[in-house]
Amino acid sequence: MADFFFYLFAFLTVLAAMGVVVNRNAVNAAMCLLVSFGGVAALFTLLDSALLAFVFVLVYAGAVVVLFLFVVMLLDVQGGDPRKPYRPLTAAAAGVALALLVTGLLSFAERGRLPGSVPVTAPGFKEFAARLFTTYLLPVQVTGFLLLIAMLGVVVLSKRLETRGAAK
Amino acid sequence: MSALPSLFAAASLPAEAGLNHYLLVSALLFIIGFFGVLLRRNTLVIYMCLELMLNASALAAVAFSRYNGTIDGLVFVFFIITVAAAEVAVGLAIIVALFRLRHTVQVEELTLLKN
Amino acid sequence: MDPAQLASLVLLIPLASAAVIALFLRRRGAPASWLSVAAAAGIMVVSSMLIFGGQRNFPGSVEWLRFGGFAFSFGVKFDDLAALMLFVVSFVGFFIHVFSLGYMRDDPAKARFFGGLSVFMFSMIGIVLADNLFMLFVFWELVGFSSYLLIGHWYERQSASDAAKKAFIVNRVGDFGFLLGIVMCYWLNHTVNLTELAGQQTAGGLVFSRAIPLLLFCGAVGKSAQMPLHVWLPDAMEGPTPVSALIHAATMVAAGIYMLCRIQVLMVPDALTVIMWVGTISALYAAVCAIVQSDIKRVLAYSTLSQLGYMVAAFGLGSLMPGPAVKTALISAGAAAAMFHLTTHAFFKALLFLGSGSVIHACHHEQDIFKLGGLAKKMPWTFLTFTVGVFALIGMPFFAGFFSKDAILYLAHEKNSVVFSVLVFTAVLTALYMTRLWRLTFLGEARSEPAAHARENGPVMVIPLVLLAVGAALGGYGFFYDTLLGGAFKGVLALVPEPEGAAHWTMVTIGTGAMLVGLISALMFYRPAAVDALQARVPVIFSGLTFAKEFFDRLYGYYVAKVQQRFAMLLNLLEQIFLSGWLIRGGASTVGLLGMGARVLHGGKLHVYVYWFLLGVVLLWGFAAGLF
Repeated sequence: MADFFFYLFAFLTVLAAMGVVVNRNAVNAAMCLLVSFGGVAALFTLLDSALLAFVFVLVYAGAVVVLFLFVVMLLDVQGGDPRKPYRPLTAAAAGVALALLVTGLLSFAERGRLPGSVPVTAPGFKEFAARLFTTYLLPVQVTGFLLLIAMLGVVVLSKRLETRGAAK
Repeated sequence: MSALPSLFAAASLPAEAGLNHYLLVSALLFIIGFFGVLLRRNTLVIYMCLELMLNASALAAVAFSRYNGTIDGLVFVFFIITVAAAEVAVGLAIIVALFRLRHTVQVEELTLLKN
Repeated sequence: MDPAQLASLVLLIPLASAAVIALFLRRRGAPASWLSVAAAAGIMVVSSMLIFGGQRNFPGSVEWLRFGGFAFSFGVKFDDLAALMLFVVSFVGFFIHVFSLGYMRDDPAKARFFGGLSVFMFSMIGIVLADNLFMLFVFWELVGFSSYLLIGHWYERQSASDAAKKAFIVNRVGDFGFLLGIVMCYWLNHTVNLTELAGQQTAGGLVFSRAIPLLLFCGAVGKSAQMPLHVWLPDAMEGPTPVSALIHAATMVAAGIYMLCRIQVLMVPDALTVIMWVGTISALYAAVCAIVQSDIKRVLAYSTLSQLGYMVAAFGLGSLMPGPAVKTALISAGAAAAMFHLTTHAFFKALLFLGSGSVIHACHHEQDIFKLGGLAKKMPWTFLTFTVGVFALIGMPFFAGFFSKDAILYLAHEKNSVVFSVLVFTAVLTALYMTRLWRLTFLGEARSEPAAHARENGPVMVIPLVLLAVGAALGGYGFFYDTLLGGAFKGVLALVPEPEGAAHWTMVTIGTGAMLVGLISALMFYRPAAVDALQARVPVIFSGLTFAKEFFDRLYGYYVAKVQQRFAMLLNLLEQIFLSGWLIRGGASTVGLLGMGARVLHGGKLHVYVYWFLLGVVLLWGFAAGLF
C-alpha cells in the first residue's frame, strides 16, 4: 500500500514540476508549484517525518506560494512569456543538464544501489525537539536572528523605493 | 498502473519504494527546476523553479536521514525550510523593488550589473 | 600620609590645576591665576613635608607598560639629591608664581599662562622624582613642551613663535642623543632604573662604555643649553619674564645638571673630560657674548648660559683619574659642587630675572638698558634686591654665589690648571658684564620717558624679590642648610669640596681678586650713557664680540637652508618616485587591473550565472565520481 502511495505522489510531484516549467502564465505556474509542494509533503509523510511535512505545508505551501502569488498579481505582468529566441549557449547548457540526468539515471540503474536501504525505526517528535534545543541550539538562535534580519531587510527595501517615488 | 513497477523492474530497480526511488525523484525535480531556471524569462517563474531545486535537495536529505536512522538530516531540513522562506521574502522584495525601477520582470532586460 | 603618597600628591597637584584651568577656566584669567598660585603653594607645603620629614629612599613605583621582559614603570626615587632639587623647584617656583600674579595682571591670555606654569611644574617635579630613565625622558619632553607653550605665550609676535619653535627643535636634537643613550644603557645593562644601576655598580656588574654617558650628556647639552646647542636660550627671552625666571634660569635648564648627577654611576673618565671642556667653553663663550648685549634679559640669559657652563664643568671636573673606588668619591664631589652652585644660582638668577621683570613692568616693557637708568631712586626695593643678586652672581664675599663658585674654582685648581684659568677669566668677565648691566640700568639719570616715570611695583611683586634675596644672600652658608633647614640635604652638601688651610685663603684671594678686577674695570669703563661704551671707543672688539655671538645662529641657518633643505628635497623626490609611485599607486593599479579582469566575469544576465552554476555541478559530479 505504501508503495502505491509513493508512486502516486512521486508521479504527481514530477508532473507538477514540469507544469511549473512549461506554463506560460505565471499564476498557473504558481499553482503547479503548490501541487508539487503538496506532493513533496506527502513524500515526507511517507518517510515517517510527519512533523516536517506539516512544517513544509505550513511554511512553503502556506506562506511562500502565497507570497509568490501576491507578487505575481501585484506586478501584474501583461502578456505571456514569449518564446525565447534560440541561443547556442542555452542549448548547450540544456544539453549538458540532460546528459547529467541521463548519466545519473543510468548510474542508478547500474551501480547506484546504495547499501542499507532498509528503513530503520523512525525517530519521534520528542527526540527531534530535544535535538533542536540541545545540539542544534546555536543554529536555532542564528536562524532566528536571520529571520529578523530578513524582515528588516524587506522593510528597508520596500521603504526606500517608496520615499524615492514620493520624492519624485 | 501496474506497468510502472514493471518499468522500474526493467530498469532493474525493485518495485517497492526504497532509498533509490526517493533519490531518483529528487534528482528529477532538481533537473526540472534547473531547466526552468535556464529556459524561462519571467523572473518570478525562475524564482519558483529555484524553490523546486531547493525542495529536491530537502527531499534527498530527508530520505537519507530516514534510511540511515539519524535525525540530523531532519533537523537540517528544518533549517533549510526556514532559511528558504526568509530568502524568498527578501528575494521577492528585491524583485518588487527592481520592478518599480525598471517596470519589467523579463530577465533579459535586467542587466544593470553587467561588467 | 606615607611618603609615597606625598610624592604622588606633589606630582598631581599641578597636573590637577592645569587640567582644571584647561577645561574650565580658559577665559577666566583671575580664577586661573589664583588656582595656579594655590597649587604652587600646595606644592611648596607638601614638598616641605616630604623634604623636612626626613624620609629618604622609600619605595614607590607603579608599573605602566610591560612588553615581555621589559617593564616601563613610574616611580619615585627620593634621596638627598632629589630633596634638594625639589626644594629649589618648589620654593623658587612658588615665589615666581606670586610674582606673576602682579606681572601678568593685565595680560589678556592670563589663563593660558598660568595653565602653562602648572603644566611646567608638573613636568619638572616629574623629572625630579623620576626613578628610571624612561620616566625621566617622558617628563623631559613634557618640560620641553611646556617651555614651548610658555615662550610662545605672545604668539602673535612672529619673533616669539619663532623662538618657541627654535627652543623645541634644538632641544629635540639633544633629546635624540639622550634617547639613544637610554636605549644603549638598557641594552647593555638591562635596566634603566637608577637604583638598580647604582646597585649594579657597587656589585661591579655595570657595563661601562664611553658612548652611554656621552649620549646621555647630549640631552643635557640640549636642555641646559651648552655649546653647540645653546642658540635657543637667548631667543627664549621672548617669553614673559616670569617664564624666563622659572624655566630658563632656575629650574628647567638646571634639569640637565640634575640629570647628570642622577646618572653619575655611568660616568667614565673620558666622558667626564669631554663634559668638562664643553662646560668650560660654554661658560667662556657665553660670558664673552654677554658683554655686548643691550637687552636686559639677554644679558641675564647669557649669564645663565655661563653659569650653567660652570655647573657642567664642575661635574666634569669630578674625576680625571681612573680607578673605581676613587672614581665614586670624586664624582660625587663634582656633582655636589654642581648641585650647590645650581641651588645658589636658582636663587640669585631667579631674583635677577624677577628684578628685571620688575624693571620692565615699571618701564612699560622697555628692555633696552641704554634707554633705562636712574631707577635706583625710583624703585628702591628692586634696586636693593637686584644689587644683592648681582653681588651673589659675581661672587662678592659673604654672598651665596661666592661660596659655590669658590667650590668650583677649588675643584678646577686641583684638577686642571687650564680649565682653572679659563674659569677665573670667565669670572672676571662675569663681574664685568654684570656690573655694566647694573650700572647702566639703575644708576645715572633716566635716559628715556618710561624710565623717568617708573615707580616701584606693588607688594605682590616686591615680596618675592625680598624672599629670594634672602636666599641669595644666605644660601651659601652651611648654617642655612644645617640649622634652618634641619640638615635635610646632608647627602649632597656634605660632599661639596671645601678648601682647607692655605688653599682656603688662596682660593678666596683668587676668587675675590677676579671679581674685583672685573667690577672695577666695568665701573671705570662703562659710564651711564645712551650708547655702549665699548662700541663707541673700541668698535673692533665690539663687532668681533657681536660676530662671535651671531656665529652659531648663522652657522645653523646656513646648514638648514643649504644642506638640510637640499637633502630634504632629494628625499622628497625619491619618495615621490618610489613610495608614492611604485608602491602605493603601483599597488593600487595592480589591484585595479585584477578588478577589471574580474569585472568581465560579471555578465549582467542571470543566465550567465546559471551557466557557472552548471559548470560547478559538473565539476562537483566529477569530484564525487573520483575523476579528480
